[in-house]
Amino acid sequence: MKIPLEKILDLYRIMILTRAAEEKHEALFHQKRLPVYTHLSLGQEAAGVGVSGLLRKDDYLFGTHRGMPEYLGKGMKLKNIFAEYGGRKTSLTQGKGGLHLCDAKNGILGLVGSLGSDFSHAVGIGLAIRTKGTDQVVVNYFGEGTAEQADFHPCMNMMSLWKLPVIFACANNRFTEYHPYRDTTATEHIAPRAEGYGAPWKIVDDGNDLTAVCEAMAEAIERARTGGGPTLIEFMTYRIAPHHTGDPCVYRKKEEVEIWKQKDPIQRCKALLIKSGILTEEMDQKIYKEAESEIEEAIHFMEESLFPDPEEALKGVYA
Amino acid sequence: MGRELTFIEAVREGFRQAMRRDERVIILGEDVKVSIFGTTKFLWDEFGDKRIIDTPICESAFVGAAVGAAMVGMRPVVEIMFSEYLYLAMDQIATQAASWNYITGGQVKVPLVVEVLYGTRGSGAYSHSQSLEASFLNPPGLKIVCPSTPYDAKGLLKSAIEDDNPVLFFEHRKILAMKGEVPEEEYSIPIGEAKIWREGKDVTILATSWTTHQSMKAAQMLEKEGIEAEVIDLRTLKPFDKKTIFSSIKKTSRLVIVEEGRRSGGYGAEIAATVAEECIEYLDSPIRRVAAIDTPVPFSPPLEGRYLPNESKIVEAVKSIL
Repeated sequence: MKIPLEKILDLYRIMILTRAAEEKHEALFHQKRLPVYTHLSLGQEAAGVGVSGLLRKDDYLFGTHRGMPEYLGKGMKLKNIFAEYGGRKTSLTQGKGGLHLCDAKNGILGLVGSLGSDFSHAVGIGLAIRTKGTDQVVVNYFGEGTAEQADFHPCMNMMSLWKLPVIFACANNRFTEYHPYRDTTATEHIAPRAEGYGAPWKIVDDGNDLTAVCEAMAEAIERARTGGGPTLIEFMTYRIAPHHTGDPCVYRKKEEVEIWKQKDPIQRCKALLIKSGILTEEMDQKIYKEAESEIEEAIHFMEESLFPDPEEALKGVYA
Repeated sequence: MGRELTFIEAVREGFRQAMRRDERVIILGEDVKVSIFGTTKFLWDEFGDKRIIDTPICESAFVGAAVGAAMVGMRPVVEIMFSEYLYLAMDQIATQAASWNYITGGQVKVPLVVEVLYGTRGSGAYSHSQSLEASFLNPPGLKIVCPSTPYDAKGLLKSAIEDDNPVLFFEHRKILAMKGEVPEEEYSIPIGEAKIWREGKDVTILATSWTTHQSMKAAQMLEKEGIEAEVIDLRTLKPFDKKTIFSSIKKTSRLVIVEEGRRSGGYGAEIAATVAEECIEYLDSPIRRVAAIDTPVPFSPPLEGRYLPNESKIVEAVKSIL
């Protein structure tokens, strides 16, 4: 499936915004200007943005803890992300969610705390879509480590059995928390497990190629929308970032990281767009400036916002 | 005498009426199509595969699926065959369903009903017998109801389905075949309201479900000895009806709490602590809890009998504080 270059350009903008915003988040954390540390998506932006960027507003997305690419890709505003991480009362959750942001109007239902608990939420949403008879889809985007969590298998079974419009999109960034994934995963790949459940699957060997990510997603989305059922897709990529702020990464060699920096998704996308003539250096600089300005505005919004009143903690338990 | 239905028939009628009224109501669970226990029997004939959904054997996953469906506006009922299996879905109930309305600032609600068949049926052994309702007192955001009669079952079921919060609906095995008057029309019983079954001045006995029936028998036994017990069916365990409880204690000055769950961390513990905090000046004697002993449920009938509360144990507890 061919992806229009204009779309790739849109998503390229989001990758740039993501990277710059995450750098800023890291800086703010070190300056103690917001309470939550970072899980950077550095090096994986193409996977996150590609997974979410082709979805409609009324589709649903479950994202990850290094989630800026996919949340921005799905349409969440950066200022709402910063208000959330900053614990402000102006956040969409009124300061109650934090890392577990939620932008329900954009189909982002939240980042679940115990990774893998949302496999079944996605299945349930697929059931709701089937009962209602709409052509919405639900994407669950997760890491290879989470694929070992309990409900992955019964959920693969259910979504295949009922042919639900669910896409399980796995970013294999080669690290599961503080170790290389092969230390705790029996197989090289996650996607072929779908074979055991009779569901279609695909491995995108170059998950840093935004076009390849988008093409795989477009095929799966079309399948889901037209009653063809679920897909399990695995995007091979690399986590340039540490697991989180302060992780000294004792479990890998710096040389390996340097090699993967050469495969940077943003630089490669730029090269493609310039070669195709849709992007110029001048436009590129403008994109960076606009990103900077959007980030400044978002941080300003966060810092001008008040914290919630402590008594608000007592409210909202029951709907 | 009005029309009589069994508890199970009342639940089934409640489901049917709810499903006719609201197309968002769906039922998921193991064998809900054929429904060996009868709670959802014949519903598939009317509503089909899209709304009566047989799940594979994986409670954590299908309860999670029910949570997911609720998150996007459906009103699912998920059936659990034995309360032990709730623990398989603990994360989904106690962390996910319980939290989402709060942590999303009200953006995402979970209007889910977890319908649970529970309690001893006689030699069910350790994994098909337990009463685990008290395990769910701690997570915020949940509601817990335990109807004792067919009438209460249908009325509380309607309230549970229409509530925008996750509600656990407990159906005790020993009362499924019990008959009682049930109106044909739809009606709701509010969640959070206890019911006084028998007025008395000497002691307040709080109970739920099967233990309410046992408490009534105990009250009859006590009456023969000139002791007048006030028996209150809590009906809702979370949030429980403080007003009715305190008002009764002010009258009787004595409290006995009966439950089929184990003593430690049972609902008796929570209620007793609350009464001690807020109502202690009205008590003339210590609070007594009549509960299962703190062991797994043993198989052999005499062992199971030792494990469980019964009328005599309730009578003994009352007498010990007079």
